[in-house]
Amino acid sequence: MLVSLEAKLINRKYLDSVKELVKPHTPQYCYQCAKCTSACTASKVIPEYKPHLIVALTRMGLIKQLLDSGIIWACTECWKCGEYCPQNVAPVEVIIALKNLAVASGYRPPEDLIAMARNVIELGRISPPIEVLSKEFEIYSRESLNLPPLVRPYAHESMRKTLKDLLGGL
Amino acid sequence: MVKVLLYLGCTIPTKQYAYEISARNVLPRLGVELVEFPEAGCCGFPLKGINKNAWIYMSARILSLASMRNLPILALCNGCDTSLRKIKTLLNEDESLRKYMAKLLANEGIELHTDVEVYHVVDLLHDVVGVNKIKELVKKPLTGIKIASYPGCHLLRPSDIPRPEDSVDPRKFDNLLSALGASVGYYPDKGGCCGATMLPYSAKYALRVVAGKIKNIKEFNFDAVSTSCPYCMEMLDAKQDAARSEVGDESISIPVFYLTQLIGLAIGLSPKELGLSLNLSPVEGVLEKLGVSLSG
Repeated sequence: MLVSLEAKLINRKYLDSVKELVKPHTPQYCYQCAKCTSACTASKVIPEYKPHLIVALTRMGLIKQLLDSGIIWACTECWKCGEYCPQNVAPVEVIIALKNLAVASGYRPPEDLIAMARNVIELGRISPPIEVLSKEFEIYSRESLNLPPLVRPYAHESMRKTLKDLLGGL
Repeated sequence: MVKVLLYLGCTIPTKQYAYEISARNVLPRLGVELVEFPEAGCCGFPLKGINKNAWIYMSARILSLASMRNLPILALCNGCDTSLRKIKTLLNEDESLRKYMAKLLANEGIELHTDVEVYHVVDLLHDVVGVNKIKELVKKPLTGIKIASYPGCHLLRPSDIPRPEDSVDPRKFDNLLSALGASVGYYPDKGGCCGATMLPYSAKYALRVVAGKIKNIKEFNFDAVSTSCPYCMEMLDAKQDAARSEVGDESISIPVFYLTQLIGLAIGLSPKELGLSLNLSPVEGVLEKLGVSLSG
């Protein structure tokens, strides 16, 4: 019964992908000391977010469940967990690998992140220059502030193609 | 005189104009010659969650473009600084990754090079320009103002690559503020995160990170906060009102300045030359103490 339960829950393909993506860090070395969680920025505001549990679930191969929950996108990539991990598992690296795997497997990242990525492809930056308001509600732009106009990045057309290939069908 | 490429990244030239204005006006007065680097786009930092190779490719591109110019890079943004130093290290250590990236870049006529010096404002000012030189230029010392330096995550971590500041005990930012005559000090959340990267996931939780940080700074009796990262500024300054509403705590209110703005004030530049009317936090009180008005 246990064997069939394992077969049902554990996604070997996902586990192998994460192990490959996260090299040279090794989720299997985690001994659940939870130093990462005690340092974690997201844990302080989202109590159910615990990097040591994310690593535990990853290590066991319960990755589909983790990706379905969408919780990995709460990571702020502040790198504190990576800094404090005594085993160089660096949960932040595991989480980045999980995010990459999620996107490659058809999960949709947060919309704002997709918008940024599209802008990087099309404009070379995460956003076009926007108009901003002062406290007195005066409108300022690069132009009105006498800042030089922005230009497209070097060899933008070929950069666009390469990025589109790397980022897939966003 | 040190000559550097002014690498603006994404957030500064599209939104956080006060950082660009103050850097352009302040740094040359400190002996830093800024060379335009308009052909450089995003460092790829926001892409790493989607595809790590896209991040590496974008930073490899910037490093190579800088190498073609044969000048060091000055990154104003913490994210850009981390990206460039991290990718430089990765490419120097991993031969197969380097070959892969070299191939991608060769397709667009760029030869991959990583032999480029990368500076952030904090280490350029502290280690190259020097605290003493800045001290000599101060005309209006920030005496009697206690300022919390807020380096931001990616000035400190990851520490397995060269960083502008010490990851555990960052002192350079404070040394620079002290040189301006300001009081500095410790607070527990100094090495903490502003929560900006959480915004696409949840604005509500990201705002709670901001609220917690400002509360911590206020508990330690600081008059103002200073940062050198456009994301930290966006969170602590522009989103301060929203953070206050989110947690319903009226005490969440503090002036926030870029390091370059404070240096500018101390060396006698006008608020206009520092983009100070773009700061959305209550900066007026500190300016009044210095005898400067926003309209001046």
